[in-house]
Amino acid sequence: MPASLILPLTAAVPGHRYVVATVRGDDALAERLRASGVWAGAPIERLAAAPFGGPLLFRLHGYRLALRRSEAGRVDVAAAEGAL
Amino acid sequence: MSGGGGARRTVALVGRANAGKTALLMHLTGTLQRPVNFPGSSVECVESEVAVGGVTLRVVDLPGLASLQAHSRDEQAALDMLLGRAGTAPDLLCAVIDASKLAVELAFLHQLRRLGRPLVVALTKLDVAASEGFPVAIDRLQQALGLPLVVCDGRTGAGAAALRDALAGTDLAALTAPVAMPAVAPATAARAVDRSLTDALDRWLLHPLCGPLALVAVIVAMFQLVFVVADPAIGWIEMAQEWFGDLIGGLVAHDATRSFLVDGLVNGVGSSLVFVPQIALLYAFVTAVEASGYMARAVFLLDQPLRKVGLSGKSFVPLTSSFACAIPGIAASRILGDERDRIATVVTAPLMSCSARLPVYVVMLAAFFPPQQAGLLLFLLYALGVVVAVAMALLLRRTALKGGESLLVMELPAYQRPRLRLVAAHTLFAVRSFLRTAGTVILVATVVVWALAYFPRPAAIGESFAQARAAAPAGEAGDERRAQLDAQKAAAYLEQSWLARAGKAVQPVFAPAGFDWRITVGVLAAFPARELVVPTLGTLYSLGEVEAASDAADERLAASLRDTVGPDGRPTLDRLTALAIMVFFALCSQCVGTLAAIRRETHSWKWPLFTFGYMTALAWLAAVAVQQVGRALLD
Repeated sequence: MPASLILPLTAAVPGHRYVVATVRGDDALAERLRASGVWAGAPIERLAAAPFGGPLLFRLHGYRLALRRSEAGRVDVAAAEGAL
Repeated sequence: MSGGGGARRTVALVGRANAGKTALLMHLTGTLQRPVNFPGSSVECVESEVAVGGVTLRVVDLPGLASLQAHSRDEQAALDMLLGRAGTAPDLLCAVIDASKLAVELAFLHQLRRLGRPLVVALTKLDVAASEGFPVAIDRLQQALGLPLVVCDGRTGAGAAALRDALAGTDLAALTAPVAMPAVAPATAARAVDRSLTDALDRWLLHPLCGPLALVAVIVAMFQLVFVVADPAIGWIEMAQEWFGDLIGGLVAHDATRSFLVDGLVNGVGSSLVFVPQIALLYAFVTAVEASGYMARAVFLLDQPLRKVGLSGKSFVPLTSSFACAIPGIAASRILGDERDRIATVVTAPLMSCSARLPVYVVMLAAFFPPQQAGLLLFLLYALGVVVAVAMALLLRRTALKGGESLLVMELPAYQRPRLRLVAAHTLFAVRSFLRTAGTVILVATVVVWALAYFPRPAAIGESFAQARAAAPAGEAGDERRAQLDAQKAAAYLEQSWLARAGKAVQPVFAPAGFDWRITVGVLAAFPARELVVPTLGTLYSLGEVEAASDAADERLAASLRDTVGPDGRPTLDRLTALAIMVFFALCSQCVGTLAAIRRETHSWKWPLFTFGYMTALAWLAAVAVQQVGRALLD
């Protein structure tokens, strides 16, 4: 796999595949993200966004997870091969 | 069969909030028997018992846990119980895991396993996993886990019997033996379907334009249900109350006893029962929306606007419920993780205009405003509550409740059709819980207000009216006169009662708002429940019995409110004063049930007292402002 670009999860575009690279920080939020399956290597896809800068919706491990933009900003992802 | 449980075994259901634990408990034991109170906290969960063979299973549904680290009060309580820090630890853990996110669930199962407690796994939502395109191979999973694994369906109850047998029959000692956690590969296989039903629905329900419109439609449907559908049922309860009152009134001759039974006891029971239709419908609706998977979408859409005012998307449920009644609304605040978010929600929820305020608005609007203005004013009164709540939430989150914020990090579950049985069980549970807590408080407070309004009973009043009654012509000709005299007698008694004395003593405080002593007594009588305002005013204005209604005002009361004149010959009430009264009731927290609910949820007297204090102060200031500014503008 070629070296891929690392970007914050908030910048993920619908219709592309990503893989979680890192979850920054070591607080309640980071722990909660990990407990929800946001760990390094997990494939993740952006599905929708709430209006007015509201939360974002992602699919990972086959389920849908809503994160605020501030929460998603803690997660770095790598663009994976190929579009969906 | 061996094992440490003997004839009795405590099983804790552990799992995420929406893994289907409560539904599973219902199918395991047949009922949702009783709430469990955790020592030292207000967190409640449900437990039930069931006999399987020779073993009595006590099954406790712990609050949802996603890991062994707690972030909310609920999670802390669940963890304390799980680890035996609160009471004895359960004999057996039953991990309820959701097949539709197996990889995440297995990570949690791994943590649970390291506790070294006997563990049985219930795998739910296999159908969701399949329809979402990630089917689970159960044989391989079971082999990999090396734990008793039972496939269950929380919606239909399939597999519940097998799980019951597994929980009662497993050898606890064998399960306690340490087992190495096998490596279970996360599901990385390609998705088996292109687009599931949930994906298709979300395209519309989370659409930037259609999504908010659908949300408005859902909220409107809820209001219709609570206000329109509940109305006949409320009518039946009021009819039953009247019928019982008449029945007892006919049987008991002694005046004070009869009044105690009819106006105190029956009225008190009626005053709490009258809330039941709305609470039941509201809970049924909220449970159904929750079970369908839509509630999480509503939270998703509303998170940003609610955060702007210092609340959270998850405040949506408690706040909307409070338009029907703040008591279940406040109980619904438990889903909020952060304590400050939760308290800000709890203390602003009573500002949502609840259904008990409606009869006050209706009678004042009917008496003083033409119908075309009444509609607009009614809307403005509801809006006033919302605007003040927003301002209050903003203020609190910048001062006393500064900092902190609940996390969102929330699953949007796949859509599912709600099951009637589960909705019915939840509703029944909520109604019982309401009657046990708020219901008893309302009953006691009603009896206290009755006593204050009934005593003292000087003989002179009774005698003077008895003479006047005797002087009235006999037969039908005198009937009207006698009814009039009876109403005047009731008013004369009430006017010198302790309640009226208190009203007259307090009246100077309300004078700047333009309230006379009668309205002040109404304010005091409203304390157990706002339902009592209209009947009390009815008695004070010598009208005999007046029903509080939310659809049509009593014409006689409306006329009396308009026409009664004070000692100076001027009407005691006019449009401006009526407006001041409505604004006062829109903002005040004259409801002992709500305060009891806040006490229960915040576990201190501080917040109910604060809520009562700030709402009464705001209500008074707003009423005085309406009266004084209005007067200045009119003159």
